[in-house]
Amino acid sequence: MDTFLQVLASGLMLGALFAIVSIGLTLIFGIVKVVNFAHGEFLMIGMYLVYLITAKLGLHPLVTVVAVAPLLFLVGVATQRLIIQPLMSARDDHIQIFATVGLSTALINLALLIFGADIANTPPGGLRMPIQIGPARVLLGQVIILLASAALVIGLQLFLQRTQTGRAIRAVAQNRAAAQLMGINVNRIYMLAFGIGAACVGFAAAMVAPLYPTSPTIGTYFVLTAFVVVVLGGLGSIGGAFAGAMIIGLIDSFAGFYIGSDLREVAVFGVFLLILILKPSGLFSERLNLSHVSP
Amino acid sequence: MLRLEGIHAGYGATTILHNVSLDVRAGEVVTIVGANGAGKTTTLRTIAGLIRPTAGRMTFEGQDITRLPAHEVVDLGITLIPEGRQLFADMTVHENLLMGAYRGEARAKQKDTLDNVLSLFPRVRERLNQSAGSLSGGEQQMVAIARGMMARPKLLMFDEPSLGLAPIVVQQVFDVIDAIVKTGATVLIVEQNVFHTLRAADRGYVLENGEIVLSDSADALLTNDHVRQAYLGI
Amino acid sequence: MTDTTLDNTIPAPRTSSFPLKKAAALGALLLALLAAPIAIGDQFVAHIFITIFIFAGLSTAWNIVGGYAGQLSLGHAIFYGIGAYAGVMLMNIGISPWLGMFAGAAVSVVVAVAISYPCFRLRGPFFSLATIAFLEVFRVLALHFRELTGGATGLMIPLKFGWEWMVFRDRTPALLIAFGMLVLALAVAWWIRSHRLGFYLVATRERQSAAQAAGVNTVKVRLIAVSASAALTAFIGTFHAMYLTFIEPAAMFSLTMSIQIAMFALIGGLGTVVGPLVGALFLVPLSELARGWLGAQALGLHGFVYGVVLVLVVLFMPNGVIGILGRYFGSAVPERGTQSASVTAAPRAAERPPIGNDILVAEHLDKHFAGLHVTNDVSFSLKEGEVLGLIGPNGAGKTTVFNMLSGFLKPDSGSVRVRAEDGSWRAPLTPGDFAAIGVGRTFQVVQPFAAMTVEENIMVGAFHRHSDVNDAREAARETAFRMGLAPWLHAEAKGLTIGGLKRLEVARVMAMKPRILLLDEVMAGINQTDVRRAIDLMLFIRDSGVSIIAIEHVMQAVMSLSDRVVVLNSGQIIAEGKPQNVVRDPQVIEAYLGKEFTHAQA
Repeated sequence: MDTFLQVLASGLMLGALFAIVSIGLTLIFGIVKVVNFAHGEFLMIGMYLVYLITAKLGLHPLVTVVAVAPLLFLVGVATQRLIIQPLMSARDDHIQIFATVGLSTALINLALLIFGADIANTPPGGLRMPIQIGPARVLLGQVIILLASAALVIGLQLFLQRTQTGRAIRAVAQNRAAAQLMGINVNRIYMLAFGIGAACVGFAAAMVAPLYPTSPTIGTYFVLTAFVVVVLGGLGSIGGAFAGAMIIGLIDSFAGFYIGSDLREVAVFGVFLLILILKPSGLFSERLNLSHVSP
Repeated sequence: MLRLEGIHAGYGATTILHNVSLDVRAGEVVTIVGANGAGKTTTLRTIAGLIRPTAGRMTFEGQDITRLPAHEVVDLGITLIPEGRQLFADMTVHENLLMGAYRGEARAKQKDTLDNVLSLFPRVRERLNQSAGSLSGGEQQMVAIARGMMARPKLLMFDEPSLGLAPIVVQQVFDVIDAIVKTGATVLIVEQNVFHTLRAADRGYVLENGEIVLSDSADALLTNDHVRQAYLGI
Repeated sequence: MTDTTLDNTIPAPRTSSFPLKKAAALGALLLALLAAPIAIGDQFVAHIFITIFIFAGLSTAWNIVGGYAGQLSLGHAIFYGIGAYAGVMLMNIGISPWLGMFAGAAVSVVVAVAISYPCFRLRGPFFSLATIAFLEVFRVLALHFRELTGGATGLMIPLKFGWEWMVFRDRTPALLIAFGMLVLALAVAWWIRSHRLGFYLVATRERQSAAQAAGVNTVKVRLIAVSASAALTAFIGTFHAMYLTFIEPAAMFSLTMSIQIAMFALIGGLGTVVGPLVGALFLVPLSELARGWLGAQALGLHGFVYGVVLVLVVLFMPNGVIGILGRYFGSAVPERGTQSASVTAAPRAAERPPIGNDILVAEHLDKHFAGLHVTNDVSFSLKEGEVLGLIGPNGAGKTTVFNMLSGFLKPDSGSVRVRAEDGSWRAPLTPGDFAAIGVGRTFQVVQPFAAMTVEENIMVGAFHRHSDVNDAREAARETAFRMGLAPWLHAEAKGLTIGGLKRLEVARVMAMKPRILLLDEVMAGINQTDVRRAIDLMLFIRDSGVSIIAIEHVMQAVMSLSDRVVVLNSGQIIAEGKPQNVVRDPQVIEAYLGKEFTHAQA
């Protein structure tokens, strides 16, 4: 029973990690309608930034968020403005896929050039301290991730529901042409949304870096799971991504314990493929239909 | 007020409008008549800044608007109520109306305008907190018109306001449009119900295959043989 | 068809002479590529050329799926890995890789079909994501089943040299085999592109629904493409494993590799026969030389260059190198103006065949969308040789009825039955069934295959009756001529005006030689002066024995064409009968023609 609870707790902690990485991805997809294959590399950039700031300036990793999130915001805005926006009217999705895949490849290899293949360990700043919750042991940093991801979900929802800008973002997401007719500068909203999505990853990086070693390919490791989470939760749904992340965290944790740690990914991707094929709109969303519907 | 001179426009490589020239004077109700696919919607979308013309010139109150993006056209006081309503389906009716007053001056006067507009649309007031997607087609069209008026436009453009509505509802929509026209608003309207719009309009243009082939007073068009044969089925 | 107005002269066929020149140029290029490394005789140069051939071959195979069919697979390394593992594992038990490669290909084909079938429902990025997920699953499984694959430690091939083992001390034989693989891939890709299958694949990529309406089994053609692609990829995988002499899951089932394969095709020119070769030719030497000269210091440099080149290509030359070259041999751009004035005045048959018995029956069609009752208990029938007009206000459900009459929508309840040529009644379900039984349709929103020429667009329809390319081309030209599209045969469809596109839509369906024709607002946007000629054309089609249902707003056409009219409003039939009677029906006037109709008539 204790083992079960431990696996459960680990699963939830893992879920929180996936959630905090996935929220930006789902936000960008929901609004800009672009699947950002370079999302993992945004996380990688964020983690290297956290590493550099903590290692060189001796700051606590959590403090770096004030610098890393805004920097990533700029990265997001630049990506949208320079790469995605010129392709928004492209005849098919292929072009956008190649663009973000190309960006991802370039960023991974740029990190390889600068930092080499060795991993960089961010000073944990006490975040690796284990704490006991009932029979389960988790790390302090993991609990912080859980709280932070919940706060991020609530904060974004409030922003989107209660502010005029947030409403404008939702309007653009729902009906681009109508939003233009309301006088909304759609390109600006897209840049803003991409920036916010990237900033979310920067926020995540400050919490993930102290717990996980940073390497050029760390993004690939996380992003595939993030895609699973986002599809599971219903693309574009922030709350759905949070719930989806928890489910994937639990599947990963239980599969790792009961089936074998080397087959965890098979379980996770198996679920992903089932969802994609059987219910591509995600578990928690009725509207979005991603399968091909002929006009 | 609005003047188009030799406008060419289309989507991608396909040119739909060829050398379209028309004008709308302040306080006038002007209609564009034409078959499906003749380019009526394209004309309105071009004026609204959603499509950039490939040639020609457009001015509004003397200012060149040929290359203005859509959001700046709205700033000048031109509002298009698009074909098929195009509401923000997952937002409430209230939120939809607020989006209508997104820009500058209209945003400042949001509250006043909302009261004024809702007095024209009692049904919309009852539905304020419902999500727009849950409304019936007729109610959605009312919200779309109300949303357009929230921008306090100088020129209001309607694109097929009766599209896909039951006959009884069509009449209600026309009543609302007539009421708006009576307030002295400047209106440019495209509508498949040619009879009704020609009755309500001062002047009309006939668009065929992307070209203006005829323009006259609305009364004259109603008795024009070509119009009667082609669009009134007589 | 002896009518010859001046602008209907069929341009000289350029397509038959052009490929010959192209083929000769390609052959010369290939021979040069083979001769160069042999002449130079340097081991490193030979290695670079082998790598070029392998990647060009993989990319050519990928292009059949990613380019022609437009399914952007980022998991193609699955088939490469299966080929490699099959070859090595069988060699370890004494079976020659020459046989092993066929085993690998067979497994790959099975896997490819199993993976692709469910994934075809997914659009663009989601198809790509699914293929990535499958690739990860294969990599993890290869790591897991250690007894078979050696797990993370990988597998060495037993060092048995000679042609029978595909392993050599010298580079030259490997060069020849790699070259052979490339030529095979190019040959298959070329064959597909120049036959019916290729047309069907591109049509499916461009407009799936229009392809279905033209009788294309869109799932089947894509599965064939995927199978051919997977088999070729596995062949090359087997050979590459022999060349590398060592394989491991991380290198065989690699996402980076999958991306590279796709990238070469994009940079060269997506969907063209030689594009992948050109792409590999540009990029492989670049990265190999960078690796050779800069060595370990430049870890990541070539990947960085790849990534940046990819982004730049996407931004500034989305049609790849071939696209840039193509501009110099630019395709004909149709000129506007003349285009709208040339529906051929079709000669009328002397006598109209009599109206026969029912040929299509719709019974109690019900359809709901998101709570809206779009069609409500719609029943009517079409008789052989009859023209049935379907009118009603926009949004009345006319197009929804058409979609149910052609298999694009399944009614919630009710049925559509069609009398087959042999007189038996059938209940077709899918668009393919409807096309097969002889129901052709057009789309209200025109659906041209934008990347194809006018002739090729019509050929897609003609392939329904002719499997041979030349026959189909002949039939397409004849149809184009009849529809007044002959002057634009070689123009790209996307350059036509709306009126031209509407006619192309009709031409494509006419090329299928349907028995029942569903026309959705084909008069819309046509010049008023052309309406009369269009009506003559419809009458000609009718007189040739085709039964027609036409949705139309142009009342002039409805009145003069239709034998009967059905009026639909808010999803219900409100009137049915002879056109003269229907327009007097008070309900119809109220709903559609407008109250004022009567006053104006008076």
